[in-house]
Amino acid sequence: MLDAFLAGAHQVFAFDTLTYMLIGSVAGIIAAAIPGFTVTMAIILTLPLTFAMEPLQGVSVMLSVYVGGYTGGLISAALLGIPGTPSSVATTFDAFPMARKGEPGRALSLGVWASFFGTVISTIVLIVAAPPLALIAVKLGPWEYFALIVFALTIVASLVGNSLIRGLIAGVIGLGIATIGPDPMMGKSRLTFDTDLLMPGLPFLVVLIGIFAISQLLSEVEIHGKKTNQALIPDVIDFKTWKVMREVLMAPVNLFRSSMIGVLIGALPGAGGSIANLLAYDQAKRSSKNPEKFGEGCADGVVASEAGNSATAGGGLIPMIALGIPGSAVDAILMASLMVHGISVGPRLIMDHADLAYGMFIAMIVSSLMMLVVCVASMRLFLRVTDIPKQFIVPTVIICCVIGAFALNNRVTDLYLLGIIGLVGYGLKSLDYPLAPLVLGVILGPIAETNLRRALMSDPDWTTFFTRPISAILLAAALLSVIFSVRSILKMRKKNRPATDEQDGD
Amino acid sequence: MFRKIAVAAGLMAAAFAAPAQAQSYPEKPIEFIVPWGPGGGSDTLMRIVAQGLTEETGQAVPVINMPGVGGNVGLAEFAKRPADGYTISQIHEGLLVSNQTGITDLNWDSFIPVALVASSPQYLTLSKNDNFSNFEELVAYAKAHPGAVRAGVTLGGIPHVHIAMIEEAMGLQFSYVGYTDTGERIRALMGGNIDIAIGDISSAKQFVDNGDLIYAAVGTEERTDDAPDVPTLKELGMDAELVITRGVVLPKGTPQETVDALEAHIEKVMQREDVIKLMKNAGADPVFYGQEKYSAYLDKLNATIAKLVGKLEG
Repeated sequence: MLDAFLAGAHQVFAFDTLTYMLIGSVAGIIAAAIPGFTVTMAIILTLPLTFAMEPLQGVSVMLSVYVGGYTGGLISAALLGIPGTPSSVATTFDAFPMARKGEPGRALSLGVWASFFGTVISTIVLIVAAPPLALIAVKLGPWEYFALIVFALTIVASLVGNSLIRGLIAGVIGLGIATIGPDPMMGKSRLTFDTDLLMPGLPFLVVLIGIFAISQLLSEVEIHGKKTNQALIPDVIDFKTWKVMREVLMAPVNLFRSSMIGVLIGALPGAGGSIANLLAYDQAKRSSKNPEKFGEGCADGVVASEAGNSATAGGGLIPMIALGIPGSAVDAILMASLMVHGISVGPRLIMDHADLAYGMFIAMIVSSLMMLVVCVASMRLFLRVTDIPKQFIVPTVIICCVIGAFALNNRVTDLYLLGIIGLVGYGLKSLDYPLAPLVLGVILGPIAETNLRRALMSDPDWTTFFTRPISAILLAAALLSVIFSVRSILKMRKKNRPATDEQDGD
Repeated sequence: MFRKIAVAAGLMAAAFAAPAQAQSYPEKPIEFIVPWGPGGGSDTLMRIVAQGLTEETGQAVPVINMPGVGGNVGLAEFAKRPADGYTISQIHEGLLVSNQTGITDLNWDSFIPVALVASSPQYLTLSKNDNFSNFEELVAYAKAHPGAVRAGVTLGGIPHVHIAMIEEAMGLQFSYVGYTDTGERIRALMGGNIDIAIGDISSAKQFVDNGDLIYAAVGTEERTDDAPDVPTLKELGMDAELVITRGVVLPKGTPQETVDALEAHIEKVMQREDVIKLMKNAGADPVFYGQEKYSAYLDKLNATIAKLVGKLEG
């Protein structure tokens, strides 16, 4: 075992491997920072380059892109208020307000450190507990997936913003959007009105870019008596790397909980960083003593969301290394790179290619260190983005969004959809509807539907949802979550009531 | 599907080679609309063909993925393209099934089938369970317990047709659970959430070798080199072919000489050793059926599917 470990380490710590990994890390961060470009796209572009490398070298480079990518989404989330990747939706909730309040450096540093620790924690779990976790992940059937999604839907309560009703409506709109197009089981058209526009459905990425990016950019150009050449965030370039590191470590419970959520969600094939990001944020808000501070630039919110999404990187590798089942699309591409070199990734990987498995563990740690170094070193540069006048940055970002949306499926109709969804998003935003529940509905709707139908096809008896232990636990958790939310909303109302009474008295 | 991305990757590696000289057709690049997403079985195999065509004709053959609605988005777009031979596309059994179940108005005869190029053997794959561990035991158990065996299929898709063929031939009754791609079905088999499914070499062989899953039968005429111990359905007393075939099509109205020229080019492509090797690596058998044989095959298949269609709309 030590031999294999040393052999793996030897390959990762070679000078050329480290150089490529550094380049990969930078590439991943930049790709993820641009709204419309995803980590998956960056990794697909890296793939052909790894063919000429040694197997472990290629995988290490891809891991560095992957780890960098989970952090890069933070940059546009914090500075522009636009999630750079689907996995950084929740990051916008607190990192952006924090940046707007004049602390963009702190928001970025918090996110970077949280991502770093999240990746490290997930790698440790991967090393220690991969085989048993992978077996559990594969045993989970449609009942457990459906129960998990029901639980995840209760997050809406944390995302509603100013009005519970408007938040719930937004969530329902999201679920509704997810039903347009071919149904996930049979491929029958639903709500498409026989139009080419709606026939393929509304792709998730297009909805995400439209809802968040287009609407955010439109509101940036609203004129409130301000000059258009103003920067997005007033000029403050100030960040205290080490102080922020201590700040992150001083809240170990939040960091650890968020990372574990990321690991577990990541290990489930089919779920991913976007769910982990929102779920970790939700759990942090619920356990916080000051939940009302969330959404206004709370450090815990930034840490939870970024640790949560970054930890899915290690989590996704769990079923891949232990069983040869990819935890996400990115893991599938990693497997591709290995298969090209004639290494079949399957249940025997750890036995047959131990050096490779250990090398991947080491590469994960090295990648997270590189991400940290790159981010800290280029922090000043990122923060300069905030100095660029709106008239330049808004059109640039819109162009990136349009290119990204088209590159997804090569469909022109997706661009019309992008425009329409952007306008709808802007309209909802102007009416003070929260957008996050809508996106949550779009993410979770199809998974819920597929697994509910699958569960009832496997076993028409619906009580199975309550007799399978993990499913029952998750459903109970969902129920508790709803009760908890109702209670805290009632409490908030009580707190606010005296103030309203006074107003009425006036 | 994820595993197929893996295979697709291998092809990109092979996509560097010098083109040969050009003939009268094609005189410019040919767009190849693959109506499925990158990394899928169709994408993987058609990239091999596209690369071979580039080398054979000296013209670039860029693959354009247009996924959506089981291939119908890309095919609908393809049907609108000029019939001049400079846009080609690809179909497989899934189109015939979508047509029969009413998802699309297009069918194989909405296009000109030029050549069938790849055939992927499909295996009846069993989970490890206490009730059956081979084909005969499965049949005996399913006869004794109608509806108890859970089959993972793409509802209204070709795996559904394949399982329905077995069901009908052996007089059995399974219950169906919908899964969208082979990778998902194999995962569900591993987790014991379904009992049987259709799998192939690239998605399931690792697990069969490791003893986690069992190949009960293969749907080819003869046993395959990849799994020589697995009996064919024919040996087991069932006259049915379970394969997925992929072929190149042109839009209706393309001039006959262009169709013939493309057919000749593809025939040469399918004799190339590198193409044969890559296709085998991707888990498919390289074959060549020309226009007539391919049309006859599709016609016969269409009749089989039409017969089973009642079973598919559950």
